[in-house]
Amino acid sequence: MKVTLSKHGGQAAGINLQRPPLVVDSAALDDSGASELKKLAASAISAAVPAHSGRARDEMSYTITIEDDGRETELSQSDTAMSAEFGRLLAWLQRRPGK
Amino acid sequence: MFTNQCRCINCIMPPHILNKLLENPDKRISDAALQTLLTTSRLRGERAVRGLLAPAVAASAHGRRTVFDCANSTILASAAIERPEDGPASADESVNRAFEGLGRTRDFYKDVFDRDSLDGQGMRLNGYVHYDADFNNAFWDGSQMVFGDGDGVLFTDFTKSLDVIAHELAHGVTEFTAGLEYHNQSGALNESMSDVFGSLVKQWARKETADQADWLIGAEIFTPEIDADALRSMKAPGKAYNNEQFGRDPQPDHMSKFAQLPDTRRGDWGGVHINSGIPNRAFYLTAVGIGGCAWEAPGHIWYAALQASKPLMQFQEFADMTHVKAGELYGSQSAEQQAVVAAWKEVGIRISGALTLAATTSRMRYQPAAAAGNGHHDDAEMMRKIEQMSSQLSKLSKEVAGLKSKPH
Repeated sequence: MKVTLSKHGGQAAGINLQRPPLVVDSAALDDSGASELKKLAASAISAAVPAHSGRARDEMSYTITIEDDGRETELSQSDTAMSAEFGRLLAWLQRRPGK
Repeated sequence: MFTNQCRCINCIMPPHILNKLLENPDKRISDAALQTLLTTSRLRGERAVRGLLAPAVAASAHGRRTVFDCANSTILASAAIERPEDGPASADESVNRAFEGLGRTRDFYKDVFDRDSLDGQGMRLNGYVHYDADFNNAFWDGSQMVFGDGDGVLFTDFTKSLDVIAHELAHGVTEFTAGLEYHNQSGALNESMSDVFGSLVKQWARKETADQADWLIGAEIFTPEIDADALRSMKAPGKAYNNEQFGRDPQPDHMSKFAQLPDTRRGDWGGVHINSGIPNRAFYLTAVGIGGCAWEAPGHIWYAALQASKPLMQFQEFADMTHVKAGELYGSQSAEQQAVVAAWKEVGIRISGALTLAATTSRMRYQPAAAAGNGHHDDAEMMRKIEQMSSQLSKLSKEVAGLKSKPH
């Protein structure tokens, strides 16, 4: 499984626009790490996405792309419209080196 | 007979009794009944009117502040109140900085524009600090302000930057005035308004002139290890940072460098934080062109233009509006209006000849006269009257400009 995280917008939008995405390959993780990533990704994919009001300004948004067994799933959520499951996956990814 | 323990009972005199008393031969009684009926009718009428006006005259909260602590959660509803408007200073400096920043911004709008909080009606100001963990951002969620602590690697606490605080609150002002849509050019104007008023709050708090100001947004929030001046520079868009970690600041300073970005999350909704560099520089150039304090003439021109703008305003339209407002506030061909023209020209936008009464008169002079229904031609007289009105309007504009430029 390969998971890619890109960040957009926010006060540092100009910086975020040009930063390369963070890529985590489960093959490079130990067994517990790989298992945890798989569980977090599955939960995020199946969670309902809260409605987005469109009224927030300077919020950040996040695109997480999950490639697994030839299938690609793209999730895109924002600070004010984020499922708890997406938030947990995001937090896990952001604790990785090179975020 | 009433005693101290007696409760007074309020009785309403039925109208039919009052009407009967009107016919009483004793004039004192009939006069008293008439007076009572008249007073009752007046009170009923006032109550009806007061009822209609109640929503409009609801007491203003005068921008009362409350700062909450999210304790690193993302759920605002569970945040604890740390400092209400009348509460003592907190032991948490983030709380105190947010509190002060909200107050400075509120006081700026009141003092400079006579605006009662963000909505003009005393809207309460709520700030939420310690949002999430290592959160590298601050944002306006549509009704309140949220601050992250930064990750300590790239960014530090976002409450440290007064212009960032005022930037976010200005989004509220824009929402209650022009409602600039957050996409493409209107979105870049939205972002620019926030940088403009964010910077003005900082300059006003520091009592700086336009020449003395740094015109930087977010200079205080990078960690010492990061080689960057700020998030954005209004004076020099594209030059706020240039390092290996972030690359070069992508903001354009001229329409020829307008960034064509997709209207998506990835594209920053058409580059609203990127192309804001162009109107930002136009404001900076206007401010230094006019001189003095940027929140005075330049700030008033931009504020008036914002209030007159529409949700899908484009750069050209907004530039034209600033030209119109400069003329209305300070006079046609005034130094202020000329500074506006020069500033926009330098960023690649030419003011499209604003229609003035004099210009309209000139055009009409060379058009064939239209015959009135009875065959008479009164165009010469009409021209004379229009020219007279135009002259009177110019004189009035100068007088108003003279009143507004008086120190206060």
